[in-house]
Amino acid sequence: MVNTNGPTPDVANSQLPNSDADLAIEARNITQVFGTPGDETSVVALDNVSIEARRGELLCLIGPSGCGKSTLLNLMGGLASQSSGELLVNGGPVTGPRPDEVAFVFQESALFPWNTIIENIEVGLEFRGVPKEERWTRAREAIEAVGLGSFGNHYPGQISGGMKQRAQLARALSLQTDIILMDEPFGALDEQTRMVLGEDLSVMLSQTEKTIVFVTHSLVEAVFLADRVAIMTSLPGTIKEIIEIDEPHPRNPDFITSDKFNKLRNHLYSMLHDEIRKAVERESKLSQNPGAGDHG
Amino acid sequence: MDNRGLVRLFQFTFFAAIFGLWYGVTSTGYVSSIFLPELPVLARAFVKLIISGDWISPLQVTLYEVGCAYAISITAGTFIGFLVSRSKFSTRVFEPLFSSIFAIPLIIFYPLAMLFFGLGVGSKIALGATVSFFPIVLNTISGFSNLNPVYTRAASSMGASGFLLFKRVLLPAALPVILTGLRIGFVLCFLSIIGGETLGSLNGLGHKIVFHAESMNTAGMFTYIIFVIIIAFILNTLVLRLERKGAHYR
Amino acid sequence: MSQTSPASSAANMPALFRSPLVARLGVILVFILIWEFGARLYDDPDFLATATQTAASLIPLIQDPKVLSALGYMIVALISGFSMALLSGGILGMLIGVNKLSYRTFFPIIVLIYAIPQVTLLPLFVLTFGIGTAVKIVYGFTHGFFPIIVCVIAGTQNINPVLMTAARSMGASRGQIFRRIVFPFVIPSLFTGMRLGMSATLIGVILAELYASQGGIGYYTRHFSDSFEPQNLFALVILIAAAAIVLNEILRKAETHFSRWRQ
Repeated sequence: MVNTNGPTPDVANSQLPNSDADLAIEARNITQVFGTPGDETSVVALDNVSIEARRGELLCLIGPSGCGKSTLLNLMGGLASQSSGELLVNGGPVTGPRPDEVAFVFQESALFPWNTIIENIEVGLEFRGVPKEERWTRAREAIEAVGLGSFGNHYPGQISGGMKQRAQLARALSLQTDIILMDEPFGALDEQTRMVLGEDLSVMLSQTEKTIVFVTHSLVEAVFLADRVAIMTSLPGTIKEIIEIDEPHPRNPDFITSDKFNKLRNHLYSMLHDEIRKAVERESKLSQNPGAGDHG
Repeated sequence: MDNRGLVRLFQFTFFAAIFGLWYGVTSTGYVSSIFLPELPVLARAFVKLIISGDWISPLQVTLYEVGCAYAISITAGTFIGFLVSRSKFSTRVFEPLFSSIFAIPLIIFYPLAMLFFGLGVGSKIALGATVSFFPIVLNTISGFSNLNPVYTRAASSMGASGFLLFKRVLLPAALPVILTGLRIGFVLCFLSIIGGETLGSLNGLGHKIVFHAESMNTAGMFTYIIFVIIIAFILNTLVLRLERKGAHYR
Repeated sequence: MSQTSPASSAANMPALFRSPLVARLGVILVFILIWEFGARLYDDPDFLATATQTAASLIPLIQDPKVLSALGYMIVALISGFSMALLSGGILGMLIGVNKLSYRTFFPIIVLIYAIPQVTLLPLFVLTFGIGTAVKIVYGFTHGFFPIIVCVIAGTQNINPVLMTAARSMGASRGQIFRRIVFPFVIPSLFTGMRLGMSATLIGVILAELYASQGGIGYYTRHFSDSFEPQNLFALVILIAAAAIVLNEILRKAETHFSRWRQ
């Protein structure tokens, strides 16, 4: 996973003064192309994207499907490497997974079905290189923290979707990283479970200093959870606008019914609406004459 | 609608009718005992066989052949299957190849095995290993290549790589499918070895069936048939248990 | 991470070798070459024929009227045994499957009998039906019958009960329900059963052929082994194996074709 396209950052470069200590993640002019660049079938998933996550904030990425939000998240976590541009996590360039700085929570249950909940967390700690004696204690603490204390010996197949996502959060927390990347973590859950988990996450945010980048489809979720929301456009993926949500955590249900919430939500909706329309129209145009790709 | 009692009654009647018919046609001499032994005669012959211990040596031979053949096919099948599954390209090259060979009734190659390895255990081992290799290799390939990518993503985000990734993620994820292949492979291995023994051999359970058939000892043939069926059911149950145990979380 | 790496290793090869089909043919070619040179190196013409010797004896083999007639009888046995299995398995399977009581009574019994290793019964079949074509037909039939009936019964259990109710509400007769609902639902499973049943019938026929070595294919495999003509034995075996692959491919295509509406 060596970045062959970008300039190789030498040591002096990566310690440049422009790497701000208040920034957990800095992405500068990130471009990601799938397939061979210039080829007809290649897809520009991200085009010259610059964004940063401030330390201790929850940054939300929202946009139509195919806007490259998950791609951006994978790049931040070192699960893929960008075609060009510079990506710094805690001031250092990303060259691969950084389990001691960045943890992931995925949409689909990424818990290993062959391990119990507590084993899942212990295995994560084993991957991370935590000594055997510490693993059980840390795993125990983590499942207590998300309220799954009595489900440690259950297999993922035996618990509900909401509990699985709590368990995934516990696994991420147990790694004790400053950054957690969440890829539509509540996407597969029903509305009620989503709300409860969202509120719990907001409480957690008020108690810790963790930086979270959160990908979602849901406007309500974005406004309720985020300190800043980045709206993305699709094909190629770019950042259209970033809006601030100035409301302290923990946020409660009163916030959802407030005028402030509605105004923010409506603003987001109008911004997104155009983008989603464009994306849908492009899709139907593509399916009408599949021979002519519109990458030109 | 609970008609379990009725179902049981019908099933009982069905079996009672079959054994009643068997008893009837043999005891009246309507069907000669050369073709079908009388039930009491068969029961006595079976008890006599079990007590005499004559079954031990052929069972040992058959189990030895099955053990050797299965050891070969497990080793080769899982190893080659894992190697093939490492790239999408090699999967697309080898998977269809193996599955079309698997569609051939491989027993047709038994005359070749007899030509090379003779009538002894060698030809049976060769046949059993060949026949059971294919389900094992095919399931190993499918187990490792149909892996949900979210597991590997999650694991590598937590810093897993190399052997730890294999031990904690790749292997447990593929295991249920591989175990099914191992079970099917075992069953086919056993059946093809009995088949090989029937077609040409010096010892073994299949040989005993043929031996009694050729010496017109129908009761003896039937006792060994029943004995092999019982052994087959025991072995089937055993491997099914092992498979379920290996994939307990499902 | 393969989806993100722009160039996979296969992409670096020339276009021709990127095709799995070409590579597959290459693998087969390598296998034939190993066979050819392995056999030449081993050099024991009484037991081992080279690939070229085998290929050369293919034509004379199928021109030999006696071998041809043995193959013909085998095909007759296969077709007869399979047709009987298909007809009886298909009809019985549907009759058993549509009624809940008969399903619950007979399905466990059928599965139980299916689990009996039929290979143990081969000497019994030969004892009862002799060594002619009859035993091959019957033994092939009993092999083919069970996979077909099990698949057909399983197919009837997939029938959506809402459709049955809907058809009855529209006044459909028993015959119409069979033709318009039961049959279409059973067709895909029937084809699966046919593929499995065909390969099982073939196993039964070949087992019977090889066991009864006084005539048919079994005679020739023994004859070619005893008279040290491995090239003929190889050719005969490969011929039958190739026919089995072709037959299986045809039935697999048919199965996919008739299961289209399921998607």
